[in-house]
Amino acid sequence: MGPQAVQERLHYMDHLRALAMLAGVFFHAALAYSPLMQGFFPTADRQNSAGVDAVIWGLHLVRMPLFFLVAGFFAAWVIAARGGPALARQRVRRILVPFLVAWPLVLWSLSASTGWALENVQHPSAFLAMVREWLQQPDPPRLPPGTGHLWFLYYLLLFGVLHWVVRALALGRIGAWLVARHPAWLLLGLPVLLWPALASVSAPHPAPEGLVPQFWAIAYYGAFFALGTLVHARADWPERARPFAPWLALASLALYAVFLWRLSVELPGQAQPVASWGMALLEACLSVWLAVLCLLAGRRLLDRASGVMRYLAQSAYWTYLLHLPLLFAVQYVLMDKDWSWGLKFAVAVSATLAACLLSYQLLVRHTPLRGFVG
Amino acid sequence: MTLNIPVIKLLVAKDWQLFQKQLAVCVLAGIVSLCFLGLAKPWAFYVGSLMLIIVMVSSACFSIATSLVVERKEQTLAFVMSLPVSPLDFTVAKLVGNLVTFLVPFGVMLGGTLAVVLFTPLPDGLFVYALLIFGYLLFAFSVSLAIAMAVETEGWATFGMIAPMVLINPYMMALTQVPDIKDRIGVDAIVWTTPAVLILSALVTMAVGLVAATAWRHARKPAFY
Repeated sequence: MGPQAVQERLHYMDHLRALAMLAGVFFHAALAYSPLMQGFFPTADRQNSAGVDAVIWGLHLVRMPLFFLVAGFFAAWVIAARGGPALARQRVRRILVPFLVAWPLVLWSLSASTGWALENVQHPSAFLAMVREWLQQPDPPRLPPGTGHLWFLYYLLLFGVLHWVVRALALGRIGAWLVARHPAWLLLGLPVLLWPALASVSAPHPAPEGLVPQFWAIAYYGAFFALGTLVHARADWPERARPFAPWLALASLALYAVFLWRLSVELPGQAQPVASWGMALLEACLSVWLAVLCLLAGRRLLDRASGVMRYLAQSAYWTYLLHLPLLFAVQYVLMDKDWSWGLKFAVAVSATLAACLLSYQLLVRHTPLRGFVG
Repeated sequence: MTLNIPVIKLLVAKDWQLFQKQLAVCVLAGIVSLCFLGLAKPWAFYVGSLMLIIVMVSSACFSIATSLVVERKEQTLAFVMSLPVSPLDFTVAKLVGNLVTFLVPFGVMLGGTLAVVLFTPLPDGLFVYALLIFGYLLFAFSVSLAIAMAVETEGWATFGMIAPMVLINPYMMALTQVPDIKDRIGVDAIVWTTPAVLILSALVTMAVGLVAATAWRHARKPAFY
């Protein structure tokens, strides 16, 4: 694969990464208006709609798998182009340093806005009401510290280490053998590999926000990271998988309908601490097939230079780092408004994205910060 | 006397390259053991902690075996002696190489273990106990390193690696015989008792002292052997 071919492929990969990260803003904003999340999400609003659940869980099953697939692709690309030490330096500059700086700031700002909401919101979510009750106790329990929405940086670092382990032990041959086979091997085999991992957690699968690495998250997201490295190694794989796209789309639609039906039956919570095996298989199939469909769609539709997409791609990392504290602050203020959920969602997303993009333009785009989070 | 820093760096890099595969296995096993510990279930804790000790002992032995014992066995030293290095350069390279290849996984595993203890339902009292075990592993590594650098036969070097590592078992049993340590392990708070502080201080001091004494002794040698 020549340099020109690499350049052509990087357009759509870059744009897919930007879209996967920006989808996170919409996903987190929509969680407040999801009936399913009423008992769990801090900014859960009185106004909600079953239509939200019908859309966001599909997004949930594909956006981070797609992100890790693209991350794996770029990791392999950096190694091929500049070597392992260059990748290690890049991981430190663009992942470890931003993580260590952003982590305490994000936790502090989330804690501050939640503290404000606990004192001022008249229509609190079930989560806020529970925390209020906790705080009434003489010795209130403390939540274990987590990584918040920055968990993806923590796992990217972990996958960077595991990627080195795989290279050092020459284990990549297994993947190379697999990706050289008929695409059906991966399209059917990968969901089977992910199945036990997803059966060990609740459905829809949670975010692995704890500080201790989780088996299921390493297996689940690591598989997509590995798929990304394999797609880089075998540039013809997407082309070979393309004839399956219509079948994957049809199967995904059908399985998603079943998934939504099962979700209404197997409500997450105390009664369902882990997903049923059937539900886990649905999640595994949907994650793999939707991620591959996004890859194929991106290759077909996004593989060209675009000023807007380039700007979004450059600002996506900063936007993602910053969005959750801003979003929570806006949504806490909106909780007492008697607006429809759609208007609240639009205001929350618009205000968050506007603040993120404006701060990117002012603080990052033309400053040394661009080398870290630009 | 000046050190030939570029050659020392190359020798350290050589040891690192040779040790890479074993290190990769240790890192992988370390991550798996931390995941087990993070499950916060009795069986998983047992499996995870046992794996963690095996990983740390293995990485200490691999590091010394790769850079000292195998080098002598395969007579790589004869090649190294043909390079523009003094015995001091060689000693510094061996010490730095061993310390780097051991302390990198050691630091990662120690940080990970303490994080697991603090951020999971495991009792925080394990924090001090874990530090005492890691302190012993550091001490055992420095004993093994000092012996491997001092002796010239493979048998004694192997004995020097195995003996201190095997003694971790009676050491752990001995710790549980100290009421001030044993009674705090299951408590959900970090309690620094006098015996714990004394044992940990002694282990770290002896480890640093042994490495320093080894460096001082070898730095004075006029020849490689």
